[in-house]
Amino acid sequence: MKKMIIAGVALAVVAAIGVWFFVFYKPTHFKRDVADEKGIVVAATAIVNAYVSNEAEANKQFLNKAVEVTGEVMDVKKDQEGKTTVALKGGDAFSNVFCTLKETATNIQGGTQITIKGVCTGFLSDVVISDAVIVAK
Amino acid sequence: MLKKSLLIGLLSVAAFISATAQKVYSTKTASVKFYSKTPAEDIEATNSQVDSKLTDKGQMRFNLLIKGFRFDNELMQDHFNSKDWMDSDTYPKAGFVGTITNIANINFAKDGTYPATVSGVLTIRGIAQKMQATGSVVVAKGKISSKSVFKLKVKDFGIKGKDIGTSIANELEITVISKYD
Repeated sequence: MKKMIIAGVALAVVAAIGVWFFVFYKPTHFKRDVADEKGIVVAATAIVNAYVSNEAEANKQFLNKAVEVTGEVMDVKKDQEGKTTVALKGGDAFSNVFCTLKETATNIQGGTQITIKGVCTGFLSDVVISDAVIVAK
Repeated sequence: MLKKSLLIGLLSVAAFISATAQKVYSTKTASVKFYSKTPAEDIEATNSQVDSKLTDKGQMRFNLLIKGFRFDNELMQDHFNSKDWMDSDTYPKAGFVGTITNIANINFAKDGTYPATVSGVLTIRGIAQKMQATGSVVVAKGKISSKSVFKLKVKDFGIKGKDIGTSIANELEITVISKYD
């Protein structure tokens, strides 16, 4: 009897820790990090072309996926929260690739080639990439 | 005679242009934050890649991507994007098109904080609903920014997650802050 109570209590403790870990701890402490993911390698002009010509199809291919985009830097700015944003030329009159970096970056020059990896969140007037990191410049 | 009518024509064209010419303020990094108070935990998420535009005639619009919302808790983020909630695979975008109804009271040339009311159509999950918002337009040294607050009922947009009304509130608040370039 005593053994069963001990086993029961132990089980309850393990279950409680399990719930706490998977529901409260893990989701806030281990976030998706594209740096660990293999991105879909694509040129900035190609992903823009894919979205401009067929947004629904492009979403099937890229939405919420890690993408590794290479292109020419059009401009570098900061958003309202102070994060660095990099626009890559899309080869289209209205659309480019708009990336928000996870960490502040300096030394990105307009006109140079850069490779950025991030999560593709879809298409507004630009293809939007968030939580991005610089792979090569 | 010909000269005169040509002149009148030119003048009327010029008058037409100056009457319709409007200044467009825009940014691709406006933020949309939503907030919902629940008995268990407050739900809060921000999207800082919002495409937002305002004209000095009071037209206002913004567009955003649902998958761009970031939560502190990634499990909540997954729920938010799932079929029962925002179904962001099917409906990746949301947007608003409207006008500032008291635009006559806002002077874009003079520094100040102007209260604003906004009326228009908000589209979420492919469902368009007429909405009103309150907020302000701030003019500071030629820089324009705006803030608007929408209060919406989640069920108006076909969101039918089972916890709505119990552990999830019926209403949520959306705050749009745009610092135009």
